[in-house]
Amino acid sequence: MPSLTISRLKGNATFQDLGRNTAQHLGFSGSGAADEYSYLLANMLIGNTLTKDKSLNNMPSSTALEITLGQCSLVANASCQLVITGADCQAQVSLKNGEQFVVKNNQVFTLSQGDELHLGLPKTQLHSYLAIKGGFYAKKWLNSVSQTGNEQSLGFTEASLKAGSELSFQPHETTCSESLLTKSLLNDNFHQLEQLTLRFLPSQLWHLLNTDVTQQFLAQDYVITPVSNRMGYRLTGDALKLDNVATTLSKPINYGTIQLPHDGQPIVLMKERQTIGGYPTLGTVIQTDLFRLSQKRPGEKVRFMPATLSQAQAQLHAFHLKFQQSK
Amino acid sequence: MNNIIIHPSSENSVLITWPEKICPNQHQQILKTLSLLNTELNNVSDPVVFESIASYNSIMIYYYFNKISFQQLKKRISDCIELVINTNKAVQEKSLTIEIPVYYGEEAGWDLSNVAKQCQLSLKEIITLHSQQVYRSYALGFTPGFCYLGTLNEQLVLPRKATPRLQVPKGAVAIAEQQTAVYPNSSPGGWHIIGQTPVDLYQQNKEAFTPLIQVGQQVKFTEIDKATYLELAGKPPFTEEKH
Repeated sequence: MPSLTISRLKGNATFQDLGRNTAQHLGFSGSGAADEYSYLLANMLIGNTLTKDKSLNNMPSSTALEITLGQCSLVANASCQLVITGADCQAQVSLKNGEQFVVKNNQVFTLSQGDELHLGLPKTQLHSYLAIKGGFYAKKWLNSVSQTGNEQSLGFTEASLKAGSELSFQPHETTCSESLLTKSLLNDNFHQLEQLTLRFLPSQLWHLLNTDVTQQFLAQDYVITPVSNRMGYRLTGDALKLDNVATTLSKPINYGTIQLPHDGQPIVLMKERQTIGGYPTLGTVIQTDLFRLSQKRPGEKVRFMPATLSQAQAQLHAFHLKFQQSK
Repeated sequence: MNNIIIHPSSENSVLITWPEKICPNQHQQILKTLSLLNTELNNVSDPVVFESIASYNSIMIYYYFNKISFQQLKKRISDCIELVINTNKAVQEKSLTIEIPVYYGEEAGWDLSNVAKQCQLSLKEIITLHSQQVYRSYALGFTPGFCYLGTLNEQLVLPRKATPRLQVPKGAVAIAEQQTAVYPNSSPGGWHIIGQTPVDLYQQNKEAFTPLIQVGQQVKFTEIDKATYLELAGKPPFTEEKH
């Protein structure tokens, strides 16, 4: 099978799809692409299947590479068509004959055998997605190729990627490269540079809290701390004190659950969350805002705002529709 | 039914909570509800639910929100809960008790002497208190195959370690608060290690992952000596690297 070889990797790179959300009852993390918007956009631009389709003999046609903080180079061992979305790594291609050209995000490009793609350190955002026509080939485990940091040692998915790793793909034609993407999708400013407001569905506990506590939570800016990652975003602000909250029994937790440990500093759970947790929870951030949050860096600020279930569902439904319609 | 809350947890999930207690009867009712919910809502012809996770006093249900509204789902969940309550004639659960052999030697039970000090018990007393109890498996989670077992004898109840270990060995038998568990794989962890088991906590093949202990099953720990551990494990227990 043709492949790309990682020739340099300073940050982190993993195979991702939409995760294994039906294996949580066994204790597996839901995992999946941190920023679903950029992941889906990449697959759509390259013309890949967006949902897992059993009729394709389980070939993971939409497996993309999630590269965190760029600094990654890949050499093509065969010609292939690719696209990069998400964090802008000022990508460049060095041709075998020594010439170089710049690759813009969201633009399909072609590599020939021997060409090398270089991704630099992005100035903003965190995760970039490299999608290839037909998808990368990666070992599936419980319906997903997604690699989860804490589960890598179990050996169920592909080994951790590093310099020297070979990324296999299906051979494909590289002649026609005219993208069919509608302009609306590229111009919709899904990710914005300004401060993000995280809309959330309040938990049962939220409704029992004193209004001075809920007001304090909603009124302040929280700063994203450096210990934030694909598992969770740890925020810092004036500590929130919950009175009369008995220790709670561990319960299933969600993508987006806002936990409040005893130090009063909230944690927003992300894709690589564990499946069960015991901290008090204030609510769940809506998914479309979690995709946005996943691209925010330590030091950036966020705020919280309550939302209703129908608002949250409408946002997610519109998000899905965006990708279904432009296909 | 009045003390059971059905709350929207996200766009596509619902959290059902029972009163905050570790109670075998309540948990049995929860698992019966879970099983009925799966039959009713995750059937092959037209599934509206795609995942469900149970814990001590709760169930999380994931559903296709474009197929069923929260209000409709809530009604169907309520009906299931109602049905389980009305047919709950204290049927005895028939389940095998899973026996897990444990080597409780001090080299394997890294925190034994500390637990002994904190609980003011002898090593022998700790081992007896831990191995004489039949535990119930209340939840599966944290890491793949990790089962939360309760309820620990109150003389052994301790808070979690102040600083979690970065590396708890595979097979470590540990206690924290009212719970005990086995670490299926080496991972970080804040529980007190009192022994190690040579048995695997799950089986895997290409397509499936089968935990040794299912939620709702009964578990008992049996003390083994070092020779038996060596024979079953084929290698000595993991010892702690002192820093």
